[in-house]
Amino acid sequence: MTYKVEEIDNKRIVHLDGEIDMEVADKARNTILPLIEAGHEVHLNLSKVEYMDSSGISILIESKKLSEQKNTKFELVDISKPVEKVIAMAKKFL
Amino acid sequence: MNEVAQANHTEKKAFLVKSSSLKDVRTFCREVFAKLQIEQNLKDELVLAIAEAAQNIVKHAYKDDPNTKDIMVVKISCEDNKLQIAFYDRGTPVDPKKVKHREIDNIKPGGLGTFFIQEIMDAVEFKEGGKPWINHLVLTKKL
Repeated sequence: MTYKVEEIDNKRIVHLDGEIDMEVADKARNTILPLIEAGHEVHLNLSKVEYMDSSGISILIESKKLSEQKNTKFELVDISKPVEKVIAMAKKFL
Repeated sequence: MNEVAQANHTEKKAFLVKSSSLKDVRTFCREVFAKLQIEQNLKDELVLAIAEAAQNIVKHAYKDDPNTKDIMVVKISCEDNKLQIAFYDRGTPVDPKKVKHREIDNIKPGGLGTFFIQEIMDAVEFKEGGKPWINHLVLTKKL
């Protein structure tokens, strides 16, 4: 998994790329959560993520919860087909 | 339901019990499912269920132990259009009564993998490991 962070004012657009599983979950988590912690509005672009498992969904849940605590915004802006399917399956938890 | 009638087929492969093996588990499954001509949508779901089960072995049966040299075996069999995926490991014995996905109103992360497995597969069974194995998980799905 690789990532890129774009900065536009207080907005941080995080682009993830590749496969998100248990092996790389900490890398993704440590990229996203500190941005939310710092009060940034985080937009997560998942258009180039080819595979995501429950580890990735957990990061989305943690990010959403933290953004609510920090009173900031966390949004998914573009989602690949494979990820969309996993999110749909996990929808009741999100 | 997959309309292509699958020929009977069995393949198995051993993997080190490491999170870094999960990608190899997925690659193995995709290769076998391509041979079985399983359509993409179902293939994606099956790969997710298998990878989640393998992840549970790494995370729960071995507590993500970085020092283990143990292997886990994944065996995929297709017989009479019924797919069976068996997992064998020598980690901490699994108590099937304690294996459950979390409650819907509990939004803490974790436990989702078991939920995905149950959503995707028709049956999830914990069987006697048989030497040298401790745990033997069998997932089945009618094609």
